[in-house]
Amino acid sequence: MIKYESQRVAYPYFVIALLLFGLQVIMGLWLAINYAFTLPQSLVDVFPFATARAFHTNLLVLWMLLGFMGGTYYMVPEESESELYSTKLAYLQLVILVGTGVAALIGFLFGWTQGRPLLEIPFELDLLVVLGALIFLFNIAMTLIKAKNWTMIQGTLLGGLTFLALLYLFGIPFYKNLSIDWYYWWWVIHLWVEGAWELITGAIMAWILMRITGVPRKTVEKWLYVEIGLFLFTGIVGTGHHYYWIGAPRYWLWFGGIFSALEPLPIAFMVWDTLRHVKERRVEIKNKAVLTLAIGSVIYHFIGAGVWGFIHTLPQINYYTHGSQITVSHGHLAFFGAYALLIITIFYYAFPNLKGYSNYKQTLANWAFWITSSTMMIIGLVFGVAGVLQTYLERIMGLGYMNAQAQMQFWFKIAIFTGVFFLAGVIMWIYDLLNLKPAESES
Amino acid sequence: MSTKLAKWIFYVGTISSAVLFLFLTWDTHRQIGTLTHADRLSDEVVAGKRVFQKYNCNDCHTILGFGGYYAPDLTKVYQRRGESYIRRALAQPEVLFAKSFRKMPQQNLSSEEIDKLVAFFRWVNDINTNDWPPQDSKKRRKSGVNRLLESATMSLGAALFKENNCFDCHSLKGVGGDTGPALDDVGSRLTLDRIKQQIRNPEALNPDSEMPAYPDLSESDLQALADFLLKQKGGE
Repeated sequence: MIKYESQRVAYPYFVIALLLFGLQVIMGLWLAINYAFTLPQSLVDVFPFATARAFHTNLLVLWMLLGFMGGTYYMVPEESESELYSTKLAYLQLVILVGTGVAALIGFLFGWTQGRPLLEIPFELDLLVVLGALIFLFNIAMTLIKAKNWTMIQGTLLGGLTFLALLYLFGIPFYKNLSIDWYYWWWVIHLWVEGAWELITGAIMAWILMRITGVPRKTVEKWLYVEIGLFLFTGIVGTGHHYYWIGAPRYWLWFGGIFSALEPLPIAFMVWDTLRHVKERRVEIKNKAVLTLAIGSVIYHFIGAGVWGFIHTLPQINYYTHGSQITVSHGHLAFFGAYALLIITIFYYAFPNLKGYSNYKQTLANWAFWITSSTMMIIGLVFGVAGVLQTYLERIMGLGYMNAQAQMQFWFKIAIFTGVFFLAGVIMWIYDLLNLKPAESES
Repeated sequence: MSTKLAKWIFYVGTISSAVLFLFLTWDTHRQIGTLTHADRLSDEVVAGKRVFQKYNCNDCHTILGFGGYYAPDLTKVYQRRGESYIRRALAQPEVLFAKSFRKMPQQNLSSEEIDKLVAFFRWVNDINTNDWPPQDSKKRRKSGVNRLLESATMSLGAALFKENNCFDCHSLKGVGGDTGPALDDVGSRLTLDRIKQQIRNPEALNPDSEMPAYPDLSESDLQALADFLLKQKGGE
């Protein structure tokens, strides 16, 4: 049950995000095939690994941003107790961003790229992304200004989104010096995922928990201050763990090492905070799938981003693991736990309401959660084994890159096998959300 | 905890970290020119970086450890492989990696583009990376080999064979790469002088050779390596 008609603009954002998620996973399987098997030169010439990787990562960024934006459009009317400033602008923004995304993907096939990992999209398309982001921020800011109903959760959300948009600007220029290039590349990537995106996550998670548990706003907001304070304190200087080996001054080994070693703390705090809110709930939680997803997300967030990040963040270890499959293992577990599961949580909270059911059949939702969560854990471990092999054989034994890779191929075959089940889980999510049915009692 | 204290944690945490980070960024800018030899950042090097980006090399290869993990890191490729090997890999990957289980796309680079990329890799090679990556660290490799020599499990020639990445392309008793020929019977195929020439400057013997040259080996090391290879007569 939605309270404001303009919340409906979130729906097309969610549907497109879901479909792009499916496409991202299919591309991921293709990448694993590239690792596990020998592909013919003729195929490599027209569709190299590099292009497929650009697909995989850009789809990730696009579907997650659409998820965040759709989530914001869903949440802000209820939180500010007013309709959105403009639904037309929201649709226009969606058309611009999705159009840019499609143009970027087609462009990659023909070599139209800026050639920097994750920030491949060319300058001309960057301008369209900026335009889309400006429309979005304008629309949200105007809604809040007109509603005159400021809350801390909204402030955190808008702060995170503005921070996100500002940081993107550092990824646009051409840098002559490769070291400076990577220095600012991490302003986008690290300060997104360990700064701006954490603010957005914190705000959305707090809001959903407040809604489903009935814990008072005052309590939720108080702990949210502590949580985002810790996230930003550790996360900002923690960027330094990417500066150990890039030609930056040596003191980054100290600053990066110490601050990033503290990065698991705010996530542990988030887990504790979430579980306490659930324990102290004032109402019966009907949407059990959302509860499972929310708890699953924070625990996975802690494992993938906190623990997996911590194990290779100290310079003494990172010297050997930097730029290996260990990073791949960490990236998959962290993105899945912290952001994919969070956005799916939003979907399962919002979809029934958008369709007008207070209760819905949750069987498939539960199956999909357990299948994707367990298979992604296996995939993370498999990449981790490959990464340990690579670290040991290539970096410690000095076996040479390709000779080490040959020993790792077996593990990529396991990743493909497991990935098929992960894809099945994702398809279940997509199917279930698009075909949500009311529960028996209601029909 | 009061809401007031919670707010203070937020403001103090965020602002202190941001101020420290911005200060370190300012200081990094002061030092990075020296650490990266920015005075050698010529137009050709910058043009090389543009070529590197144009062909999206970085989504398969890492450089400074960042990018795709599908192909070898390129930070020290200039030192590891040398100029002629890099040129060959860029011009004819389908030939050089014909036997490899992982392929590199043929991008049809012009010779000017290849020149620019080589200049770029030469410049990147000298960035002060705090001795990263370990697999290309001369210091670490030397000490690893010295340990093996001290434990008397390996001859000097065998140690040099390992230290100079020969196993990347060649194999002995089935261990190693298959880009170059297996060397189990090289001692019965080639003479000592021929082996030394092949190591020192393979292109002098065969202009189409895919093997990198090793001009930096000392004369005594070259002798030890060649002696070791001459002993590889095949059979058991």
